[in-house]
Amino acid sequence: MHIPENYLSPSTCAVAYAVMLPIWRIAAKRVSAEVPREKVPLIGIAAAFSFLAMMFNIPLPGGTTGHAVCGTLIAILFGPWPACLAISIALAIQAVFFGDGGILSFGANCLNMAFVLPFIGHSIYSAIRERVGGRRGELIGAGVGAYVGLNAAALLCAIEFGIQPLLFTDASGAALYCPYPVSVAVPAMMLGHLTVAGLAEVGFTVGILAFVRSAAPSFGIEDRSASKASFAPVLGLVAALVAACPLGLLATGDAWGEWATEDVAEMVGYAPSGLADGWEWSSLMPDYSVGALPEWAGYMVSAMIGVALLVIVFRLVAQATKGAVDFDV
Amino acid sequence: MRPDQRDIPEWLQTPQRYQPVADRDSFVSRNLLAVTSVLARFRLDDGHSGRLSPTAGSKVVLGLTCILLTSLARNHLFVLFVLAGVLARASLLPPRALARVAAGSGAAAGLTLLVMAPATLLGQPQSALSLATKSLVCVAITLIVSVTTAPSDLTHLLRRMGVPGIAILTVDLALRSIVCLGETAGEVLAALSLRSVGRNRRKQSSMGGVGGVVLLKAGRSAQDTHDAMRCRGFDGEYRVARHDMRPGWPDVACLVLLSLLLALFLYLQKVI
Repeated sequence: MHIPENYLSPSTCAVAYAVMLPIWRIAAKRVSAEVPREKVPLIGIAAAFSFLAMMFNIPLPGGTTGHAVCGTLIAILFGPWPACLAISIALAIQAVFFGDGGILSFGANCLNMAFVLPFIGHSIYSAIRERVGGRRGELIGAGVGAYVGLNAAALLCAIEFGIQPLLFTDASGAALYCPYPVSVAVPAMMLGHLTVAGLAEVGFTVGILAFVRSAAPSFGIEDRSASKASFAPVLGLVAALVAACPLGLLATGDAWGEWATEDVAEMVGYAPSGLADGWEWSSLMPDYSVGALPEWAGYMVSAMIGVALLVIVFRLVAQATKGAVDFDV
Repeated sequence: MRPDQRDIPEWLQTPQRYQPVADRDSFVSRNLLAVTSVLARFRLDDGHSGRLSPTAGSKVVLGLTCILLTSLARNHLFVLFVLAGVLARASLLPPRALARVAAGSGAAAGLTLLVMAPATLLGQPQSALSLATKSLVCVAITLIVSVTTAPSDLTHLLRRMGVPGIAILTVDLALRSIVCLGETAGEVLAALSLRSVGRNRRKQSSMGGVGGVVLLKAGRSAQDTHDAMRCRGFDGEYRVARHDMRPGWPDVACLVLLSLLLALFLYLQKVI
């Protein structure tokens, strides 16, 4: 679901940025006002779950791959606005350091995965929580919210891909950017997400939520007490996911819409000019790999760098945030 | 002519269009004050060892080896391995120490990218990224060793390595005085900026005076510290107890890590 560079026209990217800029501004204000300073670093750990979940590629019907995002999970633990900020920063690290998702298309990726996914997922979760109480209600709500949220994000992503050949073509009618119209992009993306990737999102969300609620109940915004000792199991889970992330390499093939230009040319018979001649960011570790060394080594190093960066960023944010005075204490 | 106009002298009746020349003190207020404020923040004498921290010797040896190997590495993967380790260690630092490490290493990487901007514009962004990563790693390692090591442990280590007492005293005094001198320079420059109103060339010539004040202050502080140490029986020799730096299991872990890094470095150098 990471839209690469040049698959969307610059004007589409600009619209996505224009939509996301006020959202990021509101998210930053809400996090600053509502999240206690000692809880901000925990959002970084939650963002690490999202980062790692996105590294576990799963084979989808049609020979492509997909992944979970864990956006609903972060929204349940910390609220949808902190989730928006956390996933945006995880996506920024992926785009800048690992070339996963484009820099120009960063706004569109955030719109799909950092805004639509957590907000829809959290709304459905809240609606179900109101009707079904207790632990069961929470897990059912999380599962359904995660499934619908991921599919809503995938649908929006497919529409963004699909409108490109309708809006941007050259004189001969050939597409300039993504060559597949809505009639192809929507079924192709939704087939994989409605069947396998959605279930993977449910598995990650419900599994991690159940683990966190039993092993570290104060991990989340609802419990205002922050004890360092109680988060050791959560950190252990992050370390275990880092160690296990090379499993994501078992799924071969590209995700839908994330092909190289040569592959697109082979599939549609021509290389769209915007795609072939567009600007491309030179990342530190393209596709989470380096040189001729085993892919798993690059994958694990990438996971470590990504997780550490997320934790550092949110700890620095917590350090920069002014501590609020609670006059009720 | 009205009576009140008659009383006013003629020179006072001449309309004047006084427009003061815009004050220009950006050289003082932006450049020099910024430099000295950075100096004032350059505190290297307030590190603290953690509960599971290895001895200063192990940290310094591991840190220097990492810096050396990172600088020599031709394989980018080695640098990324070290970067992953450095980031993992930094993420566990206390908040203030983390902020200092992030600021210092981020500034170093940013400066490198700036210096390498022509290479990026000429189509070689990988060299700029590689050098910036190396700068970030090296500066971060130095700062992590600094913020996780008590200054007395560093003094101890230097003595154990056989460094002459006078050299240790000089380093010790320099580390402790650099912040005070930065603050003094900042205060004098602020006074200069406040007193010198309007545009004049004397502002820049006063820089020599600021330097002189800081130099005098440095000399006086060093003399005071030295006198105080003499009063407390310091005779130029640092005596260290052997049991103070006995290695423990964190040092063994450091040694293992060092061996792994060396092996990885040698292997990766061959792969290229």
